[in-house]
Amino acid sequence: MNYPSIFWYAVLWIIVWGAVGALVTPRVYARKDKFTHQTAMIGAFIGGAFGPVGLIILWVLTPQLSAKWILASGLVVLLWLGLAFSRADPDNLCVTSGSFVATQLANGLVIGSIYGLMALGLTLIFSILGIVSFAHGEFYMLGGMVTYYFTQVFFPEINPLWGVLAAALFTFVLGSIFELLFLRPMITGQIERPGEYAILVTFGLAFFLQYTTLSLVGASPKKVPRFFDYPKVEVPPDSGAILKMTPGNVTFFDIISIPSPRITALIIALILLAALLYFLYRTWTGKALRAVSQDRQAAAVTGINPKRMNTLAFSLGGMLAGISGAALVQVFSWVPWVGIPASSRSFVIIVLGGMGSLPGAFIGGLILGVVEALGAGCVPDPNRAAAYLPAYGMIILVLVLLLKPTGLFGREL
Amino acid sequence: MRNMKLLKTLTWVVGTGFLIILPFLIPTRMHVAVIALYYAILASSWALLAGYGGQFSFAHMAFAGLGAYTAGLIGKFIRFTTAPTGLCTEFSMGDWWLVVQDAGSPTCLETAKAAMPVGALIVKLPAWLDITMGIIVGGLFGLLIGALVLRLRRTYLALFTIAFAEILRTVINAERDITGGPGGLKVDPLFPNGLTIFGRTFEAADKLPSYYVMLVLFLAVLALMYWLVGSRFGLFIRSIREDEEAAASLGVNVVRYKILLFTITAMIAAAAGGVYAHFVRVIAPNMMVIKEMSVVIAMAVIGGMESLLGAAIGAIIIEFALEQLRSDITIGSFSINMTDWRLVVFGALLMITLRFWGNGLIFPIIQRITRRGVAEETVAKRVQPASTPTAEAPVMEQEVEA
Repeated sequence: MNYPSIFWYAVLWIIVWGAVGALVTPRVYARKDKFTHQTAMIGAFIGGAFGPVGLIILWVLTPQLSAKWILASGLVVLLWLGLAFSRADPDNLCVTSGSFVATQLANGLVIGSIYGLMALGLTLIFSILGIVSFAHGEFYMLGGMVTYYFTQVFFPEINPLWGVLAAALFTFVLGSIFELLFLRPMITGQIERPGEYAILVTFGLAFFLQYTTLSLVGASPKKVPRFFDYPKVEVPPDSGAILKMTPGNVTFFDIISIPSPRITALIIALILLAALLYFLYRTWTGKALRAVSQDRQAAAVTGINPKRMNTLAFSLGGMLAGISGAALVQVFSWVPWVGIPASSRSFVIIVLGGMGSLPGAFIGGLILGVVEALGAGCVPDPNRAAAYLPAYGMIILVLVLLLKPTGLFGREL
Repeated sequence: MRNMKLLKTLTWVVGTGFLIILPFLIPTRMHVAVIALYYAILASSWALLAGYGGQFSFAHMAFAGLGAYTAGLIGKFIRFTTAPTGLCTEFSMGDWWLVVQDAGSPTCLETAKAAMPVGALIVKLPAWLDITMGIIVGGLFGLLIGALVLRLRRTYLALFTIAFAEILRTVINAERDITGGPGGLKVDPLFPNGLTIFGRTFEAADKLPSYYVMLVLFLAVLALMYWLVGSRFGLFIRSIREDEEAAASLGVNVVRYKILLFTITAMIAAAAGGVYAHFVRVIAPNMMVIKEMSVVIAMAVIGGMESLLGAAIGAIIIEFALEQLRSDITIGSFSINMTDWRLVVFGALLMITLRFWGNGLIFPIIQRITRRGVAEETVAKRVQPASTPTAEAPVMEQEVEA
């Protein structure tokens, strides 16, 4: 059992020197009268990557720092962790099988794109309304539920895309009703403390939606079969074909294997992302939305109605979560509290990407997807690895809050 | 003035007296009464954190769970013996040995018992001590989380705590070898050997002693919190809630006081959780689900977030109401399963209360009762010519206090 010792010593080493770097570097820079911006973070990364040697070189030379340093030393830290892991647990599938790692990475990216889409909704709401919707996971859950009932119970023979559309419509309408009833009073001055009210009322909505759904549909898991069966593409084995398809699975280059429902979900996410970008950057309403997120008063002066934009943003955000749920209902089984881990995931993503940053949300989603996939695949005890799935996001959250609370692309707070 | 003070004291005396004789009024529903007090502690401490300090934490139940699980795990794994076992992990402490039966060797103590000298003692930590340990653990976690998140904006605390609560629950669920997982962890009763007071003997399973323990904790916590609110600390945290920048500019160390407040309320929650664990005797990770947190928040909001007493009364009333509403309703051929629908009702009530009655439903009633005299006197003062400025100051004080 040399597994724990080597790996955990490496982790300890990185944490200790990272902490030393984070604490001391800003002081060194301040004493030398240099620009201290982000020196804590870079110190942490250099300490983690190169230990005391790197730190001493950094402190002696005190070069002008830039984001490249973070990236480079961050990659070195990851390299160390990977090396320690492979030394400690040489029989692990993650170390021995490159195709397994590639598959995990690809699956992580695919699921991460949906996480990103969902977080995009949350960050859209935050950038326009200035609030975090704690009911975001419930919109996700409802999207899946509506798709299930639409395609499996009410209209069993229908094309499943209609189910996705129904979910989008339902969550959009639900979002606008809630915004009009409960969030509109915030900006018309009927609520004493809008910031506190927003946290509690969206939390209350989450509770309400969860238990309404539970009362209506029950606690038994719902399962939707995959939306589309993929055409079978047969190739002789080991011919090095780029693509191999069966109805339930897609294999690229003979090594990366992704279940086809996930591919469908990815395609839905990408189409939606493109539509969203077109809407935000090419249409009048989308530009108006972005204008309101930049400066409310100025936007109002140019003839944009900020109140209407609030409603639109909240409904759109809810809809994005709903469509994410509709896309993933064919991948996971669905229960009324499936939204709780989903919403904490979105919180991690928007903090990681930077609150209110749209590209940050999507990239954060991809990062979280990859981290979760690798964590689930590589942690030795498989039962535990799956159970700790939300914890990997938590580690990211703690690191971001410690090192760079504004997130990757956040505006300075 | 004196009437006012008298009325207030009287209200407290009557309220406390009512809670003391409650077991004799509803002897069959003691379980609900204890749970109601448990929720009252949680709701009122959450009201101190959120309503007075403006810090919105969703990890309050997680802290209660930390307290409960610390108490439970100590009871499960830690023993004190007078002789070394030689098999378990153990530490010498003078005449006693602290023995840890870790999950790797759950039976080491049993095996060692045979080899021990005659008369060697093996004892568990008494309940009040493991509850204290739970409080310390809760406080430590509160301190860490507070130090990490409270220097940032308010929303970060809410985001972080909701994720933390979920993680803690997952970890306890996953580590079945240690915590028993979703099946739960057995905890000893508060008085494992029973209790004899005033010539009456209570079994370990009797609920009456637990009720009074919880009641004492509740009253002590309430007294502590009212003392805090009345002190400089209370002034500071209220100023932080109103305007952080302004408070900081006047010399309040904003972050330190926020962390202090967060730690104190975390410790209170952990204390409640510890007593709760010893009362229910089987704790499961379900005690920390988001639903429980939502119920506590609903209690505090409906009772009145800005009043500790309002939140506590709200909690007691709602807990009894929730239990009352458990039975199904049948209208014609429709049968409504109330176990889920009652929570829907409270969710809706929570949102509507927030929207239309920001002060809650119960706090305004308390205010009406306790401030009736104040209003009359203030009016009387206003009618008088302002020749007695000294007499006005106490009235102001009274208002601040209430």
